[in-house]
Amino acid sequence: MRKLLLLLLATVPVMAFAQGFQVNLHGQKQIGMGHTGTGLLQDGASVLFNPGAVAMLPENYIQAGVSPLMFKSAFNPAGTNTVYNNSNKIATPFTAYAVWGPKNSFWKLGLGVYTPFGGLTDWGTSWTGKYSLESLDLKAIYIQPTISIKLADFMSIGGGFVYNRASVNLTRAIPLSNSAGADGQAQLSGDGKGYGWNAGVYFKTESGVTVGITHRSKVNTTIDAGNAVFTVPASVQANFPQPNTFSSGIPLPSTTSLGFGFYPTSKWTLAFDMNFVHWSVYKALAFDYAKNTAVLADTYSPRNYKDALDLRVGTEYKTTDKLALRLGGGFASTAVIDGYVTPEAPDANRYYLTAGLGYKLANHLDLDLSFEYENVSARKQTNIESQLSGTFRTNVYIPGLSLAYHW
Amino acid sequence: MKNFKSHHILVFAGLLAFTACKTNITTPTPTAGSANFSRYIAVGNSLTAGYADGGLYRDGQLNSYPSIIAKQMASVGGGTFTQPLFTEAQANGSGYVKLTGFDPTTGSPITTPVTTNLAVTGVTAVPGFGNVTTYTKYTGDLNNYGVPGIKLQQITYAPYGNLNGYFERLLPNPTPTNNTTYLDFVTAKPFTFFTDWLGNNDALGYATSGGAGDVLTDKAQFAALYQASIAKLVAGGTGGSGAKGAVATIPDVTTIPYFTTVTVPLILANVQKSAPTVTGLYINALVPGTTSTYAPRLATANDLIVLTFPTSKMGVPTGGIPYGLHPLNPIENQYVLDAAEQAMVKDYVVSYNNTIKSIAATNGLAVFDAYTFLTNVKANGLVVNGISLSSNFVSGGIFSLDGVHLTPRGYAIVANEFIKAINSKYGSSVPLADVSAYSGVKFP
Repeated sequence: MRKLLLLLLATVPVMAFAQGFQVNLHGQKQIGMGHTGTGLLQDGASVLFNPGAVAMLPENYIQAGVSPLMFKSAFNPAGTNTVYNNSNKIATPFTAYAVWGPKNSFWKLGLGVYTPFGGLTDWGTSWTGKYSLESLDLKAIYIQPTISIKLADFMSIGGGFVYNRASVNLTRAIPLSNSAGADGQAQLSGDGKGYGWNAGVYFKTESGVTVGITHRSKVNTTIDAGNAVFTVPASVQANFPQPNTFSSGIPLPSTTSLGFGFYPTSKWTLAFDMNFVHWSVYKALAFDYAKNTAVLADTYSPRNYKDALDLRVGTEYKTTDKLALRLGGGFASTAVIDGYVTPEAPDANRYYLTAGLGYKLANHLDLDLSFEYENVSARKQTNIESQLSGTFRTNVYIPGLSLAYHW
Repeated sequence: MKNFKSHHILVFAGLLAFTACKTNITTPTPTAGSANFSRYIAVGNSLTAGYADGGLYRDGQLNSYPSIIAKQMASVGGGTFTQPLFTEAQANGSGYVKLTGFDPTTGSPITTPVTTNLAVTGVTAVPGFGNVTTYTKYTGDLNNYGVPGIKLQQITYAPYGNLNGYFERLLPNPTPTNNTTYLDFVTAKPFTFFTDWLGNNDALGYATSGGAGDVLTDKAQFAALYQASIAKLVAGGTGGSGAKGAVATIPDVTTIPYFTTVTVPLILANVQKSAPTVTGLYINALVPGTTSTYAPRLATANDLIVLTFPTSKMGVPTGGIPYGLHPLNPIENQYVLDAAEQAMVKDYVVSYNNTIKSIAATNGLAVFDAYTFLTNVKANGLVVNGISLSSNFVSGGIFSLDGVHLTPRGYAIVANEFIKAINSKYGSSVPLADVSAYSGVKFP
């Protein structure tokens, strides 16, 4: 008599994961200087920061670095004095660059492998927002072969092709209790790929100021045949067909950068970068399940991100031939508009402070250390879709280390 | 590379140091405002007792809205809150129903009674009244005075303790020798704060019986009793020095799944599967303009059928006439809250609620307008912390398997609505409960 009752089950798992946040950890020298580098010639990280500058690099490079990232979020639900903290997990953004060209030639080849987008957060299975998100592990790894050409002594250009390999693993509680009162759970995991490009131009002006302009394209990343696993009470399992797969697409936004380098003395460098991130391409997060039921419909979760700006300053001082000290900082405006803040990306305007040091271990070998602190402003929000209401605040701590061999 | 290794260790140590620290958020310090929560008592009926799934049982009691409110009051000077819990050994109390599956062809939920570990002690015949089921007595301190079934109309009726096993359970004497009114019982000790959600059964009793087995409490009598009870409650009980409190209005009965799940079109469609020529159902309905004259007529989608209607009766002939399909054998009155009956109930409920709101205003009490709240939920649904809730049976997540009472999640939502009303009235900041931590209907 209460026919089709289950059709009304209002438990559609509207899977929501933002692409999290841009991860700007592309080279230890550059991190130490507040992520500046578009208008500088530092090392192989120019493959990312400005492929146009690669041909101007005085040497060839092989380098790799890692920046263990601790994303520490707290959430205070509105009207309570409870604070939930995400658990301690360490994300590992990494970089690897190689730059090679014959001595004194007008061209160089480059290869970059880096992680420009990602997120790792785990709020646990018993926090108040568990139906929005329990945990998210998102990684995008860009692989970028590059060619750069010196057009004149004062100008070079370069570009690269980008192949993105992405993986996602997301879990979320489903509000269907079993007989013991435990929630159901959805887990979506899969791999995807996407393509893009990267181009830049680099100038040395007569006044000695260096200038760089780069554009990293949008990378539409698609996940096909990801695994959708729904753990629900047996009596409703038929509504969540198993096995099931999903497909989804994430547009990873383009970034346009303008950077300047100033050289007050031979030991002292000042840099300024400005980045425009075209986040507005991220309209919605949609999941298309291979097997739908009346309960398990495809989902469309609006995100409506807005374009964001990032302003950076940095400086380096070479105290000796062996030791360079670096400082920097910046401000990044949030891409997430009011009403769309989620536990995946509890984003807000943020400022960051960085420090670093470079040490010449041997004639051709540099060790670079960096440390970054990011302060994501407290933001009180009610999410329009989930009605999850409260204040998020996040601190990010990122030590980092890299080795560069150059010749 | 020795040099490198030592750096590595340093970085690693630094990393561990940051792993340990947590991001802090400055949260407001909860305050009691102008209220004093040191002894909170809850006055009311089954909803207050934590009744769910057609019964009163320990799990439901533990998730009653007053106990949730009391937990939240703890950080602003709230004292201990004691409920008349059934023991672990008799945890299933009166018994209740649980969901055991779904009909594979219709998708209808199948419920099964839980009959073990009950606290039932017997059934006593009370002369002139009927049979009263009694339960293992509860002795000890009490903050939750919720008595399933009680009407406002009965709170000053001295023999009532002998007629309701849930009340008798809290009283010292065996039925039929109790002689304490409910109002005297709840105000026998001093208290500083109260919630009062009485009055539901004054309308619900009539409604759930399809207008057949009960009567609506007279409006003037309701107003007089409400006035008298609030006067005693704001006095803070015997020996007390005044209390503040919150009251709740009575929901529109048509918002509860007890009346909205089994519908006329659904029954008709089901009948038509085997009898395609049938075009309508007959019900025995109240003649508009009268209060007790009934006549058969064709049912419309506006007539509400109760959740407990045995649909198997449909079309089965009695005296050669198929049940429900002919004016001479209509669906019985007890299964239908027809349109005219609904109008009458609504008129009474609106009147009761006007009484409640005006007396609350006079006494400076907080009001949780359950009528408006549940009407809104019925119309628009409710999204809390990523959970989509509705007034639908089973799937809605708010109402328990009896279609009238709430799930733990529903009670948590109600507790929060009370808390919001209290905070706004008394300038307090009692923290809200975490709705996500309470479950909805449990699925096998």
